[in-house]
Amino acid sequence: MIRILFFAHLREETGQSEAEIEGAGKTIKQIKKEVVEQFHASRLDSAMTAVNEEFVPEDYRVKEGDVVAFIPPVSGG
Amino acid sequence: MERYSRQILFEPIGREGQKKLSQKHVLIVGTGALGSATAEILARAGAGRMTVIDRDYVEESNLQRQHLYSEEDARMRWPKAAAAEKRLGEINGLIDVNSIVGEADAALLEELAQEVDLILDGTDNFETRFLINDISQKYRIPWIFGACVGSFGMTYTIVPGKTPCLQCLLKQMPMQGLTCDTVGVIGPAVQMVAAYQAAEALKILTDHQEDLRPSFVSFDLWKNDHLEIKAGALKDESCLSCGAQPAYPFLSREARTKTTVLCGRDTVQVRPGKKRDMELSALALQWRRAGWNVEGNPYLLSIEKEDLRIVLFQDGRALIHGTKDEAMAKKIYQTLLG
Repeated sequence: MIRILFFAHLREETGQSEAEIEGAGKTIKQIKKEVVEQFHASRLDSAMTAVNEEFVPEDYRVKEGDVVAFIPPVSGG
Repeated sequence: MERYSRQILFEPIGREGQKKLSQKHVLIVGTGALGSATAEILARAGAGRMTVIDRDYVEESNLQRQHLYSEEDARMRWPKAAAAEKRLGEINGLIDVNSIVGEADAALLEELAQEVDLILDGTDNFETRFLINDISQKYRIPWIFGACVGSFGMTYTIVPGKTPCLQCLLKQMPMQGLTCDTVGVIGPAVQMVAAYQAAEALKILTDHQEDLRPSFVSFDLWKNDHLEIKAGALKDESCLSCGAQPAYPFLSREARTKTTVLCGRDTVQVRPGKKRDMELSALALQWRRAGWNVEGNPYLLSIEKEDLRIVLFQDGRALIHGTKDEAMAKKIYQTLLG
């Protein structure tokens, strides 16, 4: 299992701030796709992804027990 | 130096740091909520020269979080940059503040880049941020990204040659509208981002680069989250903005944009291909004769007829209110100004 954290409007969209899914061995790209389907999050394409508090690229493969945070860039200022 | 005594007593700055600060030039792009806050902090701190740019004017709905502005500014529809310059001058008469009422486009930023030491992000859109990012890399000027919405905020300090750049972090420009400020924002989220930005700014301006925060910060003041994320792994040698063979894609792409939908404002900005110098008083007369309701100040005219409201600036830019339709906005602009 991996732990997934949602931030900003992703929370409102998915209705939760965190969740657990099977994801070990998959790439971030694959996980984003699954999360969009499973949690009805529409906006993951541009979300930055951190694994264990470190940004990773889309081809990064997650490991069992990883904490994956999706942080959508916001534009207001 | 007495007015800066508390800051001089702060050991990392001291007398030497204060002197360095007084010799630096900071560019603040956008003086909405974030830009207001960082500008005030740095003006009080004694940053020697500040240039502020903003394309918008003060409205009542700004006052909840944009600390430089007053009800009078909103009533007069004073351009934010000009109102900021006036207020900053009242706050600290020892520094040199220069305001630009206009669009932070590639040409203007390239011109200013020759003489600034730091760029602070006070914008509300990624189009301008990617432009700043390319300018920062091309002229080797650090810049401090900041953004917020609701109770959520984020900030990152980008130092050319050291950290990943915005392009490395985001890979692509986030789609317009996705993160628009339609859900509102609370003042504390603004002040938190601005505090991070201003602290980093003080470190850079007093030559304490070694103390810069290496992480990307993201927080939610309502949900009580705080994340510090390491970003080094995203530095991309093939990045077109900061990689081994940079092309600064946004500096050339930008020149084509003529209309921009302003985030969350139901407003489209129309820019003429070339800057114009408008005879505002003559236009006001002409439009009043045509039955329009025209108000104004030395910087702009606000024109109303039926459900249309248009604000025209001296440089020929216009804000068409009440629409998100760029084609329609362009048509209205052309009808008015030919």
